[in-house]
Amino acid sequence: MSNYKLEAKKLTKEYPGTIALDDFSTGFTGGRVHTVIGKNGSGKSTLMKLFSGAIAPTKGEVYVDGEPVVLHSPLDAFKKGIAMVYQELSLIPDMTVAENIFLNRYPDGDTSESGSKRKKEGNAKKLPFIRWKNVYKEAADLLESMNIELDVYEKVSRMSVGKQQIIEIAKAMSFNPSVLILDEPTSALARHETQALFSLIKRLKQKGVAILYITHRLQELSIIGDTVTVIRDGKLIGTREIKDVSSRQIVDMMFGNVEQKNRPTDLKVSDEVVLQVDKLSSKGLFQDVSFSLKRGEVLGIAGMLGAGRSELLRSIFGADPFDSGEIYMSGKKILYPEPGKMRDLGLAMTPENRKSEGLVQSMSIRQNMCMASMDRIAAKGPLTKGFISQEMEKAFTKEQIQRLEIKLASEEDLISSLSGGNQQKVVIGNWLNTKPQIVFFDEPSRGIDVNAKQQIFQIMWDLSRDNLSCVFVSTELEELLEVCHRILIMKQGKIVEEVYPENIGLEELYARCMEE
Amino acid sequence: MFKRRSSFKIQNYILETVLVALIIIFAFSAPGFFTLRNVLNVLRNVSMQGIIAFAMTLVIISGEIDLSVGSAVAFAGCLTAFLTDKLANGALAMNLEAAIFISIAAAIIVGFGIGTFTGFFRTKFKVPTFITTLALMTALSGAANLLTNGFPITPFPEWYNFFGGGYVLGIPFPAIIFLVSFGIIYFLSNFTTFGRSVYAIGGNEEAARLSGIKVKKVKILVMGLVGALAALSGILISSQIMSGTPTTAKGWELDIISAVIIGGVSLQGGAGRIWSTFIGVVFLGIIINGMTLLNVSEYWQYVVKGLLILAAVLLNQLQDMKKRKA
Repeated sequence: MSNYKLEAKKLTKEYPGTIALDDFSTGFTGGRVHTVIGKNGSGKSTLMKLFSGAIAPTKGEVYVDGEPVVLHSPLDAFKKGIAMVYQELSLIPDMTVAENIFLNRYPDGDTSESGSKRKKEGNAKKLPFIRWKNVYKEAADLLESMNIELDVYEKVSRMSVGKQQIIEIAKAMSFNPSVLILDEPTSALARHETQALFSLIKRLKQKGVAILYITHRLQELSIIGDTVTVIRDGKLIGTREIKDVSSRQIVDMMFGNVEQKNRPTDLKVSDEVVLQVDKLSSKGLFQDVSFSLKRGEVLGIAGMLGAGRSELLRSIFGADPFDSGEIYMSGKKILYPEPGKMRDLGLAMTPENRKSEGLVQSMSIRQNMCMASMDRIAAKGPLTKGFISQEMEKAFTKEQIQRLEIKLASEEDLISSLSGGNQQKVVIGNWLNTKPQIVFFDEPSRGIDVNAKQQIFQIMWDLSRDNLSCVFVSTELEELLEVCHRILIMKQGKIVEEVYPENIGLEELYARCMEE
Repeated sequence: MFKRRSSFKIQNYILETVLVALIIIFAFSAPGFFTLRNVLNVLRNVSMQGIIAFAMTLVIISGEIDLSVGSAVAFAGCLTAFLTDKLANGALAMNLEAAIFISIAAAIIVGFGIGTFTGFFRTKFKVPTFITTLALMTALSGAANLLTNGFPITPFPEWYNFFGGGYVLGIPFPAIIFLVSFGIIYFLSNFTTFGRSVYAIGGNEEAARLSGIKVKKVKILVMGLVGALAALSGILISSQIMSGTPTTAKGWELDIISAVIIGGVSLQGGAGRIWSTFIGVVFLGIIINGMTLLNVSEYWQYVVKGLLILAAVLLNQLQDMKKRKA
């Protein structure tokens, strides 16, 4: 019998067309923090979903405390000793700390051994009455055992994200798990909150729990981790003791040998500055951001999630307010930007989340394609102002369908009938119809296939050839290296460095984005 | 293949099909149903609520609601009567024709103003229109009673009855207003940037905003429009009953919203057609009329109306689920 708290044996998860996790075997011992790292799409989250019972493996087994387990659901995983804390918090804001911790398994009057076992397993109460005194007492005891100083009577909605995260962990620990899985727990936390979280994790470690810590933040590994496990392309690349490995070696393991692609050589950048941002700040999101964008340039902004990239673009576009700083377009200062005004000045933005910010799902492809350019397809006479010209609308739609090579049955179909990549192209077409000078692309390649990605890169290059300028934000650093003339590195709300793809490799760029 | 296509088409016109079937059934069973007089009668009866229903459709498509329309109708009628009375019989001693036209204009402007106020509250302070208009429903009803001291005011001359009770080429005047307002709002919703913006906002407010659509302005205007049309309807009613009466139009908001829902407009916003509301309004009118002619008790009529709403929503939901699966 092994001494692993959690063990994966030949775990495999296949989806039609891809293998998300391939013959994955490794074990995690108790009383240690095991960090798991890998770039986007490497199979990290598939592994976590398998451990937490959210999905079932195609092949292979999971062992908890040496016993094979079959996990049918997250609740099932909890019962079998695997507790998972997700990146998105799932507390109920209007309930108190104690109510949240014991949600749906409130302590009743039953203090017998079988009673408390029943509750630990998440089963319903024997009697439908809640002993509120016990709820708060047990919650207070639980927090005390973990050295957490929080008021169990406080409403969760009044607490910071960091404290909420700690409550999530306390809730997970109330099941007395053998394994605690934390999925990027620091992604939304401020620095002092991260410190508090780390010291909590270190205390839990001493209770003998095996802690799996998923992250993409390289610098956290040596602070919190005892071991590091690297996943790439669904395969286990290796597990090392943190003290034996440098961060460069970890980056090497994450990326392997990648062939770096370059942008076409015919794209020219002129000297004319079309957009200048001067000391732009928005409290808690980004500070003192200054940069300029030239005509014909494709400018990349690199950085991790939460670095403030999308927030910066949104503020420049006028979608969100900012606190101080100035924006100039073609040398003219812009006062009070707002989307309609910026659009009329020649700025376009394809937002980060196409479903919730870029498209109206209840409208047709044609209507979505002319949403931002509605005034352009309407008559302009004094009496006919605001009347949409069907012919112009059709022409506008057709132009973009051809230009962007959008595959569709009929432009009258609902936008939701299209694939992700084609939907993204409609978002772009909607903005190209406004005849912009500058286009902001916020994560345009998220969730679309390789071909569509390449087409979107082509679109950016074509815009550059037409003397338009682009700002391209992406978490996929290799994309930025392939597409852009110049890349700004953004970290914790600040632009810290400017690099040129000619002078930097992927691993180097990754390391610079990650390191403190 | 052929079968699938044809059944798909009928699905799109299911309400129209049921309506035609209903007309045929009543034509054979209800005495006097299929006479010109009765048809015009139905048209007149549905007009007053129908006018408001078209604007309500835009309100619901934009993702909002207006519960105050019933009270707004009563208030506008009372305001018209009250102003006419004060202008003509008060210190100003204005000529009666002028007094009436000024009062009508004032009532419509005030109605529009109240609507924009709701829209302003919604966009500036994020107060849901459900709440604001619920408050207005009570307040406007009170205001109508204050204006009239709780009793009908009757300052109108004989000819004023034309608006609510008159005929043009044999067609009741309110029915003409009903058809004209259908035409205008149909056009507005389908062929203008304003209409398109309403759909976009109801479908995804954030996407509309990020596309540069002036969300606040559009919402305020839509609420203003329903306010103005409720006032117009109130004026027509005051003409029909020749008085400003604070108890008119009680509960109309529910009838109007019902007609919109029966037409198939989703309360989630973003989708729905003005034509469906037209059908919904006529549908309700015909079913009430037919049952009245068949001597069905009024209480049964309420039950049938309720079941109808449920059936309509169920039908829509089923179609939606099917579409999502496909």
